[in-house]
Amino acid sequence: MPDKRILEMKGIEIQFPGVKALDKVDFDLIAGEVHALLGENGAGKSTLIKCLTGVHHMDKGQILYDGKEITPTSPQAAIAMGISTVFQEINLCQNLTVAENIFVGRQPMKRGKRIDWKAINRRAEELLLRFNIHIDVTRPLDYYSTGIQQMVSIARAVDVRAKILILDEPTSSLDEKEVERLFDVMRDLKKTGMGIIFITHFLDQVFAISDRMTVLRNGHLVGNFLTDQISKIELVRQMIGKDMDVIFALKRPTVAEGAPETLKVENLGIAGRVENVSFSLRKGELIGFAGLLGSGRTETAEMVFGVTRADHGAIEINEKPARIRIPVDAIQHKMAFCPEDRKRDGIIGDLSVRENIALVVQSRRGALKPMSPKEQLDLADKYITMLGIATPDADKKVGELSGGNQQKVILARWMATQPEILILDEPTRGIDVGAKAEIQRLMLELCGQGVSVLFISSELDEILRCSNRVIVMRDRCKAGELPGETSRQEDILQVIAEGSSLEEDA
Amino acid sequence: MADKRIRIKRQSLTNRIFNPKHVMVYATIGVFLLIYLFGALMYGDKGFTTIRTFLNMFIDNAYFGISAVGMTMVLITGGIDLSVAAVASLTGMFIAYGNSVLGMDPFLCIAIAMVVGVGLGALMGAMIHYLNVPPFITTLAGMFLARGACSLISRESIAINNAAFDALAGWKIYIMKLVDGEWVKVKPIAFVNFNVMLFLAMILIGAYLLKSTRLGRNVYAIGGNEQSAKLMFLPVAKTKIFVYAFNGFCSVLMGVSYALYVKSGWNLALQGGELEVIASAVIGGTLLTGGVGNMLGTLFGVMLKSIIPALITFAGNLLSWWGKIATGLLLLLFIGIQRIVVTYSARRKGSCR
Repeated sequence: MPDKRILEMKGIEIQFPGVKALDKVDFDLIAGEVHALLGENGAGKSTLIKCLTGVHHMDKGQILYDGKEITPTSPQAAIAMGISTVFQEINLCQNLTVAENIFVGRQPMKRGKRIDWKAINRRAEELLLRFNIHIDVTRPLDYYSTGIQQMVSIARAVDVRAKILILDEPTSSLDEKEVERLFDVMRDLKKTGMGIIFITHFLDQVFAISDRMTVLRNGHLVGNFLTDQISKIELVRQMIGKDMDVIFALKRPTVAEGAPETLKVENLGIAGRVENVSFSLRKGELIGFAGLLGSGRTETAEMVFGVTRADHGAIEINEKPARIRIPVDAIQHKMAFCPEDRKRDGIIGDLSVRENIALVVQSRRGALKPMSPKEQLDLADKYITMLGIATPDADKKVGELSGGNQQKVILARWMATQPEILILDEPTRGIDVGAKAEIQRLMLELCGQGVSVLFISSELDEILRCSNRVIVMRDRCKAGELPGETSRQEDILQVIAEGSSLEEDA
Repeated sequence: MADKRIRIKRQSLTNRIFNPKHVMVYATIGVFLLIYLFGALMYGDKGFTTIRTFLNMFIDNAYFGISAVGMTMVLITGGIDLSVAAVASLTGMFIAYGNSVLGMDPFLCIAIAMVVGVGLGALMGAMIHYLNVPPFITTLAGMFLARGACSLISRESIAINNAAFDALAGWKIYIMKLVDGEWVKVKPIAFVNFNVMLFLAMILIGAYLLKSTRLGRNVYAIGGNEQSAKLMFLPVAKTKIFVYAFNGFCSVLMGVSYALYVKSGWNLALQGGELEVIASAVIGGTLLTGGVGNMLGTLFGVMLKSIIPALITFAGNLLSWWGKIATGLLLLLFIGIQRIVVTYSARRKGSCR
């Protein structure tokens, strides 16, 4: 097949106040390829996309689309030209049916100016069938899983006769099986000659699906590589610009022979949410929790920490029975919990780094013994240095930091309480490779200091890299326990796959 | 693969019927039928089941119903409009003062009220959208504005005496039946008037807008998730401004309809009426949080709210504030049902599949 360039962006420059967001960046897309756009947070990926979709206007440069020069002025104009974008969050309406979500705003009309509902349902069904998704399109969207919803939003994007499809972090809320299905769809779309720009933080996925990749760093073009001619280490090196041996030098913690059990959970559960979870955690040990979304990982963590109250089972801490009904009980037992959704449940974006770090320490002291600003500042500075939090000073609002640094602030908040048990729920989600490695390094360092860690993650490679033992959750139950050192990804997938199926399949 | 057409099993009829979003409408219809049955058993001999009683319910409440049509749309977008009764009252003042004091044609007065009502609605919609002022506050301001304007015009009740207006108010279609090949009026005499026709027409127009136009579907999308609606590039601003302007239009029609009903204008007319209108829509299954509601529900919501005063009239010895108590109880009941339905469907989704 002759390579037909459907898109060429040449010498793109965009100046933001104080920074050059993009500096002479070239990018091109061939019909029928998946082109990964890579770089750390702030490298300029989204700026480039926003330039293409008409959100930002370029100061210099040229965009050729199908050989003709274009200047997109708005996202609507871009869509009209055939450039569609699917974002990380699902931007659909849960109260409408699947079919309507695909067609709202451009419904087929019958004569007499009435919406043709039959046509909507039929065409939606056909469209999803092309993606090999067999679902009832007349059901409301919220009936289906996040994975299906993501497919629906892609279906909506594709159906506007798109020639270019931009997928901006589409997989960050999908589990492995759903990712596989998305990839099948992408392969199908490739065959139709569509050019797909794929932005993601998951390097495995880049290697699994993309044909080519373009790497950006600090607004500059680093290079353009064919996927089968670059190794993962080399790619990471290109993205980060320095040797990333650190991520491969991470060593799982060594647990001392006969180390005491700090946490023992027996048959803990809440009827209908998660049932009969048992495990134990020793001093300095790291246990990984693997499983699909909704398999009960987060529910287990929340139960152990007292966010939700277990209705059966028992918890022992340091070999003594403990009653944990609310998070305060857990904090008294020297537990710490970094929740999954750091924006919603973790940071308080409008407060400063200093205030966020001092939060739990202060709440343990009680409102009657306020920490002086000096004490707070000392505490904050100590952890800013220790964790390498990239902030100009301790008084910057946390909401203005990058994802990785926000995560470090939450970590600092809990480290300041000197915890013995640390629960981390997806601490590395949505942050770039460098920051991920940092978080994992910190986590392992803490284990070395005798902290016991529960580590929940959807990325199997990081679970396998760090854990002493891996607990696999499936269908709200513990499905198995594997040794971290000798297990492979396939072993975990095997446990997840046993007895489960995609219920939406016809 | 493409040539092999696979049949997908659509959800079963029972499933569709018991769709949680429809349950609330069924509950409204069910409760209405129950109360009607109760009335029929208790006061059947006194004429509760006659066509006349049934139609009088509409005649006495049509003006609320007309406003409930616009209100339903506002509520589906996730908004609220507290100005409706005040705008209606202002319309009545325009007609009464314009006609009786200034000697203007009442229909010209209605046209002026239309411009004012729709304009105020559009203005409030624009403020809500562009300035991001909460609908509650914006429309509260609109309510004070309109109510204040009423008192500015006159603080007395003004009667409307105009032949054309009277003719419209007195226009009626009698219900006939065929006896021995001849059409005769049913006994006791029953009829529908202009207000009832207007109410039913507005329900149909509302249903058409919501169900069969892009604009109507955008209303649901905005109520479901406004952010998503924006990112789907739906015309959010246009839709919201239209909805409030349309509601202003309905408010003016309520004012006209109320003026036809009482044949006067009064600056304090319909006080608290906005809450009655909201209550009708909510009893009819419209979610105050937006995204859910329809005209069938609102129709029955209005009917359910109207049957209670009718029942109280038949009971004879009860005082009218029992009507308020019953409405309060109904509202609590239906809000309870809504919460249960919402949590039930959330739980069903959360459960292991």
